[in-house]
Amino acid sequence: MVSFFKNKGQMKKREKQKIDDKDQSKSKKLEYIDSSISANLDHMKKKTGNSPDIIVRTLKISQNPEIKTTILYVQGLIDNPSVTDFLIESIMKNPHLKEKLLPKEALDVISEEVVSLGGVESVTDWEKLFLSLLSGDSIIFVDGINKALVASTRGGERRSIQEPSTHLTVRGSREGFTESNATNIAMLRRIINSQDLWIESMKIGTVTKTDVSIMYINGIAKEGIVEEVKKRLKGINIDSILESGYIEQLIEDQVMTPFPTLNHTERPDMVAGNLLEGRVAIFVNGSPFVLVAPALFVQFFQSVEDYYNRFDIASATRFLRIIVFIISIVGPAVYVAATTFHQEMIPSKLLVIVAAQRETVPLPAVVEALVMEITFEILREASLRMPKVVGSTMSIVGALVIGQAAVQAGAVSPAMVIIVSITAIASFATPSYSIAISARIVRFGFIICAGVLGFYGMILAFIVLIVHLCSLRSFGVPYMSPLAPLNPEGLGDTFFRRPMWAFKERPKLLSSNNNLIREGDNQRPLPPESRGMKTSDKKKGEGNES
Amino acid sequence: MEKAKISGFQLFVLIFLFEIGSALLVPLAGEAKQGAWLVILIAMIGGFLLFFVYYGLFQYYPDQLLTEYVRHIMGNFLGRIVAFLYILYFMYLAARVLRDFGETLLTFAYPHVPLFFANAVFILVVVYTVRKGIEVLARTGELFFVLENLLFMTFILLIVVSGMIHINNLKPVFEISGVEMMKMSFTETLFFPFGEIIVFLMIFPYLNEPQRLKKIGIGSLAASGIFLAFIMALNVAVLGVDLTIRSQYPFLSLIQSIEIAGFLERLDVYFLVKLMIGGFIKISVFTYVAVTGTANVFNFKEPSRLAYPVGFVILLISIVIASSYSEHIHEGLGAVPIYVHLPFQVIIPVFLLVIAYFKNRKKKQGFVPPKP
Repeated sequence: MVSFFKNKGQMKKREKQKIDDKDQSKSKKLEYIDSSISANLDHMKKKTGNSPDIIVRTLKISQNPEIKTTILYVQGLIDNPSVTDFLIESIMKNPHLKEKLLPKEALDVISEEVVSLGGVESVTDWEKLFLSLLSGDSIIFVDGINKALVASTRGGERRSIQEPSTHLTVRGSREGFTESNATNIAMLRRIINSQDLWIESMKIGTVTKTDVSIMYINGIAKEGIVEEVKKRLKGINIDSILESGYIEQLIEDQVMTPFPTLNHTERPDMVAGNLLEGRVAIFVNGSPFVLVAPALFVQFFQSVEDYYNRFDIASATRFLRIIVFIISIVGPAVYVAATTFHQEMIPSKLLVIVAAQRETVPLPAVVEALVMEITFEILREASLRMPKVVGSTMSIVGALVIGQAAVQAGAVSPAMVIIVSITAIASFATPSYSIAISARIVRFGFIICAGVLGFYGMILAFIVLIVHLCSLRSFGVPYMSPLAPLNPEGLGDTFFRRPMWAFKERPKLLSSNNNLIREGDNQRPLPPESRGMKTSDKKKGEGNES
Repeated sequence: MEKAKISGFQLFVLIFLFEIGSALLVPLAGEAKQGAWLVILIAMIGGFLLFFVYYGLFQYYPDQLLTEYVRHIMGNFLGRIVAFLYILYFMYLAARVLRDFGETLLTFAYPHVPLFFANAVFILVVVYTVRKGIEVLARTGELFFVLENLLFMTFILLIVVSGMIHINNLKPVFEISGVEMMKMSFTETLFFPFGEIIVFLMIFPYLNEPQRLKKIGIGSLAASGIFLAFIMALNVAVLGVDLTIRSQYPFLSLIQSIEIAGFLERLDVYFLVKLMIGGFIKISVFTYVAVTGTANVFNFKEPSRLAYPVGFVILLISIVIASSYSEHIHEGLGAVPIYVHLPFQVIIPVFLLVIAYFKNRKKKQGFVPPKP
């Protein structure tokens, strides 16, 4: 469907390999829990390399016959009060356990009458047991029974909910995602109060076994897209997932592109808005960045605040962002092309100024532009990574050396400094960081093309850029939609935003097509009748014209 | 045939951009003087007739490429030869446009750049596009269509504001006689650009709503014809007849004559953008068609692999086609319409349509149960 040079043979091979891998993992033999506690503990110590953070607490219950029970948990991963108060204390002080008990009954009694915790279940195989233990649950063994109880006591120190550090807004919720999946999902639940908000979880990463959850609104999300997301996630076979970026790189549609085909955000309200348009969110434990798929080109120029502000303001800012994005791509290239090849296009007064400035500069414009751009990139990269304490030194050195000394020495022209600064500011004004990075890379290509062939080279680069953007897809949805393929209905939320009362339908390419209606008719707010010059054709005296 | 679908609007846009691609730049029907725009409109009506011939062919074989059903109509051997000739024709046209384009570029902005280099980088971009397939080309066309229209509207605004339009330049319309006009439109202007719509016989099968093809085809031909006529009238109205005919690129002269507030002047970049977008779409369509056609005739499984070789051949043809620009133009106005355009755009299609008609009638009759 996409392009007609897909190498089908290779694809089939890869898929086959994936199936083989799955078979192998399934055929691994399950190991079951022994009935003797000491055997179990030995096995445990052998398996975990005797790690000291696994705490073993042995208790005695039921005086006659004496039954030993052992509680296991990992220090730091558990919620301390719930283990001490509701697990250890309950078992030690519970009257039921003082009675005569058979070992077989003991486990049931513990689970049904003693442990006062939310989630309790029994497991028989070691694999599940380890998974629960290492995610912060407590394990209860009872001597003589080849089962174990898993009590959910997950907790421990985590970062609390804070204001997000990216996608800042003046107006809107101050909550940002944290590193914990459970917290993040709960935040979404609080925003979208519907039973149709469906969540599916899976473990990805053979070593890290990271929790990955996908979330969508049943009935609004397109089934095909949801299935595609699930299929791609299930196809991942990698040892570790440390950040949602890992997932992003493993499930995107096209690899060879500077443009992001998945969006990520730290804002719950942004995810909620996207879910309500029919997109799918992917939560990865350990990362405050939630992935949203499919992502379209226009989406990277939208900020949640656009929907909170009135439409005229929002449309104006969006338009500004597009201009800013274009400047950040072609800014220096235009300067290079105009000064090198097309001097006649610069108005003569301006030309005189530029030419006078360039007189002392020893380098051709294209080299000058490249040098300045690279210098700027160095500055930016350095200021991102270095300790905050030395930040002021950096800005002084950067401003003095590049801003003043270089110009005074005649190594670069002041006009070039202006252009580079404008471009730099422009690239920061794009709301999405991921598309700003793409613009940075593409910019260098444009400068080189402009240096070789002037505007001809630039327009060629522009054509290639457009063709490339049009060839991208995100989870099967054309990247440039609703611009190309044109969808007149969808245009209302691209470079401008239609008023809230005119948002009749959800985007067709993303949402399920039999549930497109978003709001009722006649949502346009109107002033009370008979106000103003002429709003109604009612007769005088009929209304309330006080 | 590629597995792809394009929408009706995308086809409309492709045809529109294709038709105005290079026709915008040259003094189209310049010999007709003040009546140039009328000649273009007459030729447009001739274009409708040709389109109906092609549409008839399409209706007999709605899901096949031209190169495919030629073999059904004329038999395998002869059909393959005709199909191959068509591929050569498309490649030749691509090369002609490329040459036009390269020469224009060199003349007006890059006198020191070698023609081969200018053409080579351009065909590289085209090959990159063709490899992506028709869907991507169509979507790109949509974006460029919007861009073109925005530019065009600002351009019209600038022309009007700068007050250069002299309607009197357009009079008298019948500087040459009506007969001459007819002759001109049906020997020159019909074939270039309107008859070139025949390449779309290789693209029509991708349309996802074939029942609307007639409307789309006529609509886009009419839109592009009116657009071209309008631009030609504008050229004459602003520049006057003499300058329009003598100028190599009247449209460029038109743009260069814009001067507003002592600041907005020398908008050559506008011409460059227009030139390149039009040339890009036109050459891409020709190259794409040549690539899929070649793959189809020679049963080649992966057409995309042909993009580079076909592109290279087009590049070479564009260089060796003529020794100078004036020779190139002379060929284009003299020999090409009669010996190349006429057979490929009119004679062969009409011939094919007639055979297809008889063949399909026979088939239909065969299905009728014999009377008792």
